[in-house]
Amino acid sequence: MAAKTKKKKQVEIFALGNEAVVEGALLAGCDFYAGYPITPSTEIAEEMARRLPHLEEGVFIQMEDEIAGLGAVIGASLAGRKAMTATSGPGFSLMQEHIGYASITETPLVLVNVMRAGPSTGMPTSPAQGDVQQARWGTHGDHPIIVLSAGDVQECLEMTVTAFNFAEKYRTPVILLLDEITAHTREKITVPDPDDLYVCSRLLPSMPPEWYMPFEDNMRGVSPMPPLGSGYRYHVTGLTHDDHGYPTSKPKEVESFISRLFRKIDQFFYDIQIVDEIQCEDAETCIIAYGCVGRAAEMAVQMAREQGEKVGLLKLKTLFPFPRPIVEKMLRQCSFVLVPEMNMGQISREVKRVNNGQSKVGTINRIDGQTITPGEILKKILKG
Amino acid sequence: MVSIDDFGTFETAWCPGCGNHSILKALKNALVKLKLKPHESIFVSGIGQAAKAPHYFKTNLFNGLHGRALPAATGIKLANPRATVIVQSGDGCTYGEGGNHFLAAIRRNINLTLLVHDNQIYALTKGQAGPTTSQGHKTKAQPKGNPSENFNPVAVAVAMQANFVSRGFAGMMDQLSDLIVQAVQHPGFSLVDILQPCVTFNKINTFSWYKERCYELKDHDPDNWLKAMELSREWEEKIPLGVIFKGNKPSFEEKLPHPTGKPLYYNKPSKEKIQKVVNSYA
Ligand SMILES: Cc1ncc(C[n+]2csc(CCOP(=O)(O)OP(=O)(O)O)c2C)c(N)n1
Ligand SMILES: [Mg+2]
Repeated sequence: MAAKTKKKKQVEIFALGNEAVVEGALLAGCDFYAGYPITPSTEIAEEMARRLPHLEEGVFIQMEDEIAGLGAVIGASLAGRKAMTATSGPGFSLMQEHIGYASITETPLVLVNVMRAGPSTGMPTSPAQGDVQQARWGTHGDHPIIVLSAGDVQECLEMTVTAFNFAEKYRTPVILLLDEITAHTREKITVPDPDDLYVCSRLLPSMPPEWYMPFEDNMRGVSPMPPLGSGYRYHVTGLTHDDHGYPTSKPKEVESFISRLFRKIDQFFYDIQIVDEIQCEDAETCIIAYGCVGRAAEMAVQMAREQGEKVGLLKLKTLFPFPRPIVEKMLRQCSFVLVPEMNMGQISREVKRVNNGQSKVGTINRIDGQTITPGEILKKILKG
Repeated sequence: MVSIDDFGTFETAWCPGCGNHSILKALKNALVKLKLKPHESIFVSGIGQAAKAPHYFKTNLFNGLHGRALPAATGIKLANPRATVIVQSGDGCTYGEGGNHFLAAIRRNINLTLLVHDNQIYALTKGQAGPTTSQGHKTKAQPKGNPSENFNPVAVAVAMQANFVSRGFAGMMDQLSDLIVQAVQHPGFSLVDILQPCVTFNKINTFSWYKERCYELKDHDPDNWLKAMELSREWEEKIPLGVIFKGNKPSFEEKLPHPTGKPLYYNKPSKEKIQKVVNSYA
């Protein structure tokens, strides 16, 4: 594939969604990948295996299962690397326990889940959006999480960079949800010039090792994080722990620890909330969509506008924390809000939750492994 | 100089008389002999009574999930190949919940040391049969006796020609401490299976049960794989302690394209490197 050079160092490539994820990860400084093959995410692993060695000390390792894959990613991240894994439904289920571990130990990492039709083995090569609520609540216990989505190949690249930035900034696992269609679409994208790219890395401690407290609270609620084994001696445990990292079950310490985990995400909500507002200003009907359905919805908006219908689209790129303020605004503004998705209503239930009777909320739910088409969306809009 | 006091003393959640106390002591002695200061090694443990051990001395600790210590240790070691990585957990955690990782770690041969406190029982959950519990052993969850044969980790590791396979006993602290030193110094994957009496939940494999059977290997040549296979099968009447098998396969890290072997965390991302990897697309 010839890479065509445009003005600066901007490069255009013809890539699969899965390859664009790798592109974004490498741009964000990812240098560790561990995983286990599964359709439709496998190209991410294969491309990582091919590309990471170009980074002198980049590591790719195929592990014995997905549990081990995410385990190795957590270990590598704590030892100072930017690390990621990718999987699909069955593997995502196996990873749930480690997601909670990464959450309580505040380990930055990126987990890409390319959604396929389920439950169980389901239809391995068909798209779906059935893992949205699992991404939010799949691991046990109360925990905050950031869940992002991408709906075209360019977004795959951009949202992977964003996922790493959020992971590093907030010391948290970030889940990026793709669907089989987006992952397996090949199209032209622009690789940004590294100079123009915002890349964020975890804060390192500036105090001497003997003063360092790995889980101390501060204004941001995020402590600096030295690589494990670099001289700053500390404990990391999945048990509820105190500022020093040692297990505690003292109610006061537990309370302040768990609330800090939530606060560090909540207070930066407006940094984390990413949505595209497409023709929303004068919209009387609003579509709320994400992933490959967002793309069909964009087309539907265009078709509706041609017929004189005032339709807008709220394309969600951040799914959780749920972008409530902007959704509420559209619910207030529009008499009809349509949520088309390839599941039985996993985001529409969030929309209904915040609706409070302000608008009429309609849904399109496809669970047959087929995409939702622009025509289908348009028809539903016209019917109201 | 490293002294045993550097590792501090902590209150433990273990019963008086538990084998874990002497294993911990033997381990601290080994760290002193290895001249490893508290911040110079990384311990990785799972969940269980054994897995609590690294909470009870000063070290870098990754206390992970039940069964999943080895994958995390793999990530840590690959991110920082110079670190001394020691995995410490129980028989249930390592051979049961994490059995697949045990096999994979042997095959991969990453340079790390695995210490297994083998009390032949799930102690933390109060005494159910685990993978190394003997057949017929009655517990609350197996009231008619454990129906399965016990797993023999040493025989499996020898059969797979793991790079260093040894067995120690909590009741023989000097030898145990020496085995840990050798295991850490030996390149590639090293196993020390440590027989550990559990005074509360295992009334069969008691201190005297082990004492009657355990003997120290004297003239065994650990390079002799066939002999090692034979020794690894000894169990009911006599139990051999010491280094059972030693291989000399290159470790996983040696085969990685890491020219310097320096910890990856020194390798800060740079624009040039990113540009290089972008260019590698075609
Ligand atoms: C996924 C999961 N399953 C079960 C448990 C409960 N559990 C904790 S420790 C343990 C057994 C520990 O046995 P072993 O590893 O032999 O350690 P010991 O307590 O005997 O030292 C079990 C079943 C858990 N923590 N996580
Ligand atoms: Mg046990």
